Amino acid sequence: MADFNNMESMGGQKARNILAVNALRKAFGSLQVLKDISLHVEQGNVVSVIGPSGSGKSTLLRCISFLEKADGGDILYDGQYAVKDGVYATKAELNRFRTRFGLVFQNFNLFPHYSVMKNITEPPMIRGENREIVTERASALLKKMGLEGKENAYPCQLSGGQQQRVAIARALALNPEILFFDEPTSALDPELTGEVLKVIRQLAEEKMTMVVVTHEMPFARAVSNRVIFMDKGVIVEEGHPEQVLGSPQQERTRQFLRNYQR
Amino acid sequence: MSLMTMIVKMSEGLGKTCAIFFLTLLFSLPLGMIVALLRMSKVKVVSTITRFFITVIRGTPLMLQLLAVTYGPYYLFRANVSRNKLIPVVIAFSINYAAYFAEIYRGGIESISIGQYEAAEVLGYSKFQTFMRIILPQVIKRIMPSVTNEVVTLVKDTSMAFTVSYQEMFTIGKQIANSQTSFMPFVVAGVFYYIFNAIVDYLMGRIEKSLDYYR
Ligand SMILES: Nc1ncnc2c1ncn2[C@@H]1O[C@H](COP(=O)(O)OP(=O)(O)OP(=O)(O)O)[C@@H](O)[C@H]1O
Ligand SMILES: [Mg+2]
Repeated sequence: MADFNNMESMGGQKARNILAVNALRKAFGSLQVLKDISLHVEQGNVVSVIGPSGSGKSTLLRCISFLEKADGGDILYDGQYAVKDGVYATKAELNRFRTRFGLVFQNFNLFPHYSVMKNITEPPMIRGENREIVTERASALLKKMGLEGKENAYPCQLSGGQQQRVAIARALALNPEILFFDEPTSALDPELTGEVLKVIRQLAEEKMTMVVVTHEMPFARAVSNRVIFMDKGVIVEEGHPEQVLGSPQQERTRQFLRNYQR
Repeated sequence: MSLMTMIVKMSEGLGKTCAIFFLTLLFSLPLGMIVALLRMSKVKVVSTITRFFITVIRGTPLMLQLLAVTYGPYYLFRANVSRNKLIPVVIAFSINYAAYFAEIYRGGIESISIGQYEAAEVLGYSKFQTFMRIILPQVIKRIMPSVTNEVVTLVKDTSMAFTVSYQEMFTIGKQIANSQTSFMPFVVAGVFYYIFNAIVDYLMGRIEKSLDYYR
């Protein structure tokens, strides 16, 4: 194996950070859920976040997608501050930042009263895009997700795996620079996780920038450029997947992975 | 008085019965939404006052509310009792039904998962767009059975207008029953309400069915 630390900046050129988070803090009441979390995601990279239940993985994704309000720290997209020292940009600016990322939820959160097609096309159309262009893009995305012919189906007529792939298409239809996944396969029957992981892997091959919270260790190992292990609101260990998952340096990481294999 | 004359006389009041019915729905359905939103307001004072308003309306008889709206202005301000009783009757009915609809709306809105709001927010929907496009259509589907119940009750409740002598179908029937010492007008009224509600049931069923395309 090569020097893991150098793999991120291949060719010596400084890669562009699509997302950068500095000293992010978040508490619910007296419970400090995120304690000075810092991370960055370079263009084309896939970062997996693993960790025990309650370690703050979802809260981290929710903070960087503005669903949860952080108490302090910075959030930057492509070098621009969305949050600086806990101070948020204006509503209009945040709405523009929202076009830069997409979020895929554990339980899909598709709109049940919309057809598959409308689920995907309405958000870009709300942002003022032209119907024909959006419809064309949606069709291409559905094809890519292996969902041709499902345009007029309703979410309730689809399996969980298909619904999650629609949700991914819906996020992609806004042409985000980065995609966030919060345990995208945890709500699925085991036999359906494969089809979802496959499309995420395909996106990784196309150099889509992604942050994936997951419990699928083999997947994290195969797809990620970097793995982050979180516990109790701090990043305990991070690095190349072979390192973090294969030969972890921290005892807490080892313990987590041991418990995981049982 | 022959049964036929009875039916003809009472039918003349059906227009007014329908007027109460449709005008009440026209005003109370949207008013109920406003009340529901005020009830769910994050401003404590607003939600508390609204909740108090709802408990008063639901905790007192509609008959009393009809009397209060119709004759209250006279006792309070010595204002003339309005000649057209339809106005106070519709006001009382609309306020009363708005309170009931508000609680149905609130139940429906609160039953929508938070994930729907979050998905919409991340996808760039404004608060208003989220409510109108994502939440409200799902709420309407969920509350249809309860709304149907209320509408059926409203058909029957229109008879309450007799308390302020508004000349709708039931009031006329009651007057005939008194003058003729006959029970027949009540039977006729019963049949009228039954047919009215059969139509209501059919139409509401059609609407529910049209929303059946998703779960
Ligand atoms: N809205 C909230 N109010 C109060 N506490 C919360 C809230 N959301 C999360 N928490 C708490 O914050 C902690 C971190 O939660 P979070 O959901 O981020 O963990 P997680 O790492 O995603 O766990 P899991 O693997 O179970 O999804 C937990 O202790 C949780 O109970
Ligand atoms: Mg979580």
